[in-house]
Amino acid sequence: MSSGKLIFRFEELGQEHKNQVGRKCANLGEMTRMGLPVPPGFTTSIAMYRKFAKETGAAEEISRYVSRLGELKGKNIAFFDELSQNIRGMIEDKEVPKDISKKVASYYQELGKKVGVPDVAVSVRSSGTESRPGMFESYLNIIGIEDVLDKIKRVWASAYTARAIALRVNKDIPITGDELAVAVSKMVNARSAGIGFTVDPVTGDASKIIIDAGWGLGEGVVSGAENVDKFVVDKETLAISDTYIGKKTKQVINKKKGAGWDDVPAKKQSIPSLSNDEIVAIAKLAILLEERLGEPQDMEWAIDADLNPPDNIFLLQTRPAKVADKKPEAVTDRMIDLITKRFYRPNDRYHSN
Amino acid sequence: MPKKKQPKVKIWDKTIGSDYIEEIDLPQMHSWFFDGTHSIPPLTPLYAWHWVKYCSHGFKVACAELSIPTCKGWELRTLNGSIYCAFHIVRDPKEIAQREVKFRQALRPWLEDFDGLWAGHKKELLSIYSELKELDVDHATNLQLCHHSRNLRRSYMRMWEIHFLGMYASNNAWLLLEAMTKERFGLSDQDPQFQDMMRGFDNKIYQMDKKLWEFGKLATKMKLEDVFKQNEPQAILTKLRQSAKGKEWLKKFMDYMTTDDIGGWRMRRFTDFNEPYWLEDPATPIGLVKDNIIKGSSYNLEATRAELAQKREAAIATFLKRVPAEEKELFQSMIRLAGKASSYSEEHNLYCELFIQALMRRGYLAMGRRLAQKGTIDAPEDIFMMKPDEIDRVLMVPEAYDMRWLTRMRRAAWKEAHKTPKPPLLTDRASKDEAVEMDLFPSGDVIAIKLIVGELPQPKPELKADLWGICGCAGEAEGTARVVMMYDDLKKVQPGDILVCPGINPAWTPVFGLVKGVITDTGGTLCHAAIIGREYGVPTIVNTQQATSKIKSGQRVKMDAANGAIYILDK
Repeated sequence: MSSGKLIFRFEELGQEHKNQVGRKCANLGEMTRMGLPVPPGFTTSIAMYRKFAKETGAAEEISRYVSRLGELKGKNIAFFDELSQNIRGMIEDKEVPKDISKKVASYYQELGKKVGVPDVAVSVRSSGTESRPGMFESYLNIIGIEDVLDKIKRVWASAYTARAIALRVNKDIPITGDELAVAVSKMVNARSAGIGFTVDPVTGDASKIIIDAGWGLGEGVVSGAENVDKFVVDKETLAISDTYIGKKTKQVINKKKGAGWDDVPAKKQSIPSLSNDEIVAIAKLAILLEERLGEPQDMEWAIDADLNPPDNIFLLQTRPAKVADKKPEAVTDRMIDLITKRFYRPNDRYHSN
Repeated sequence: MPKKKQPKVKIWDKTIGSDYIEEIDLPQMHSWFFDGTHSIPPLTPLYAWHWVKYCSHGFKVACAELSIPTCKGWELRTLNGSIYCAFHIVRDPKEIAQREVKFRQALRPWLEDFDGLWAGHKKELLSIYSELKELDVDHATNLQLCHHSRNLRRSYMRMWEIHFLGMYASNNAWLLLEAMTKERFGLSDQDPQFQDMMRGFDNKIYQMDKKLWEFGKLATKMKLEDVFKQNEPQAILTKLRQSAKGKEWLKKFMDYMTTDDIGGWRMRRFTDFNEPYWLEDPATPIGLVKDNIIKGSSYNLEATRAELAQKREAAIATFLKRVPAEEKELFQSMIRLAGKASSYSEEHNLYCELFIQALMRRGYLAMGRRLAQKGTIDAPEDIFMMKPDEIDRVLMVPEAYDMRWLTRMRRAAWKEAHKTPKPPLLTDRASKDEAVEMDLFPSGDVIAIKLIVGELPQPKPELKADLWGICGCAGEAEGTARVVMMYDDLKKVQPGDILVCPGINPAWTPVFGLVKGVITDTGGTLCHAAIIGREYGVPTIVNTQQATSKIKSGQRVKMDAANGAIYILDK
């Protein structure tokens, strides 16, 4: 049965594989199929995690441990931290079974051949069937099969970060309710990166593309910790209708192994991290994505420092954009009410000097 | 052509509903307020006719479509080339309540998607204009010109409808934010903190300014700097045509003027047809390029705006810290909307008046040439002394008419109007205060109160200033005053001067990059001078009522804009 397949190349995937490889990977596959610029890579399926957990005994160990816990709602953070450490240990301590590691190694080798770099640097990211942004771990600039296998295991274990457990507890989802697929894709040596919305996430205005951008890898922008550049592009005319250049003092960049924060050189801090051509190119990709996927998107992109335009723009992932719940209408109602009552009720006092 | 005899009869040159006729208009509306923003210098009869008819139509349409509860629109009249306005106030509480129901529905889409609606309207306008542009007016038949004149007016009418829909919607948003910040945090829209939140937007005005700035840089790069620095705009044009490099630059420049969606279809003067548009006389934008070159390489338009935008985000963030959590979102939305109001105020004129009036000037001048050729009028420009029904009447068979008696009489009256004082108010109420209380404020009309009539200055006696106004953009400045009454005099402005003028229109914007401060006779906190002043970070004081008459060119003046105070240092 195909649901038992352990590993896929991106190009083999589409929306129909969501339950096997999670949303992120299904989307990456869909984008690859559309011919969009997605870094090449492969995906381990949720079935692979289950096989690993079963054969190593981790699944049973976890379920036994969890069954003894009792009521978890209202527990404090320290409690969840300890719980997280224990369960993650149960996964990370296990040796990956030979047939699994062999399979991953062969796909990793194939990827290296494809891009012409034997020990190709990759990113290792989580992909679940439910969208839970920021709950699980991702690892960047991972080099060599040993490290790739280790990081896949860590991503599996990150289904049990304290924040992810707490979220499931609060939403009445079983503690073992998230099982992860893992996306392994060629690392983009990002000069600039960021996110793009095809709808204003705050107001719901769908006539604009909103781009947040910074230097280095996108993690600096996604984390929201740093000041970023903001660009607003009109969907219809592709005119850049608003620009805000943030003072970007920090960036995430590739280190020898892995990635980490670094200072932005002074002269680069206050200049735009994207050229106008790049802004428009990203906006066009965003529009295309929205059209093809049929709903507003929230995507991550990167500009590769080693390649030349127009081949240097990559889409790293996309998901349906979440717009603040109904609030714009509520605020609009209040504004209408205030305007009416303050300015157009002659019995109250109108404008005075 | 046969000599035509004129009968000697008394000529009544006033039209009911267009010209101000005291015995009819005063009892009907009681108070007429002078619109200094659009009346200095006096308007030509052709333009005043259009303004009174279609601008007032636009007001009435917007008030009807938005169902403004307390106002059904403006009534306009012309007197000695000046515009006076009065307001159709809804006074019956029941009717106000009924209008309010629809108002709430009609305002909603503008608050929810201002940019989307405005974008749609821009598109509509540009498509109307591109149709008008298609007619080759020099080779058109008189019949085609006749139809063209009708099409121009129909388009002009539509332009005003769109213009005021956007304006009422955006100004309500601005006014709401101001009222709320004033009441809750003691922050009025004259405060620098407030104004910092409303600056640094990237709109069409800025984009065009930037383009001219870039053409200046290009000229420097192409070693044409001296041509610009050493010559007057008209001579620059001639000189450029004499060298290969100059021709190359000029070609690029004219490409922009003709291919940009606005480009050279931009009137130099904001109200009236009697000054050329950019495409017709490229010396105007060339002069602006020259100004940029003179400012030198240290002047960086892009960086200035980026800095303002950064300051804006910081100011908003700082302000929002003062707002309680449960109201953050409301204030955030109000700030965003008010920003759109500010940006709309800046750029809408490019898509509205400045563009279509360029087309109208082109069309009417073509008609003027036909009439002048046949001796119907003395010169093509005399067409501006006629009214459309008069033009329509003679255009098909111009040789049969001699209209010179009319155009000469009107030109003499128009010239005379330049010297006639303009009373700020025509009323049969007991006092100015009573007129304002009864015939202005109950209209609740944001445009009247914030833009045209404006709030009255509040002198602070302890500051001992010579003149008072309203703060448009806070800041202090000291420099030589340069009193400028018309666009042509703008070239006398030197870098570092303080510009003193009746009012500012978008055509004047680039001069803000040159001056240290701006003082105007008219306008409110949302008038062009105030908005552009904030965009350029130039201290600006508006609505002094009398700056151009009290201050003389060459005097040193000091301004403390935050307090609206002006000091004349050498009296």
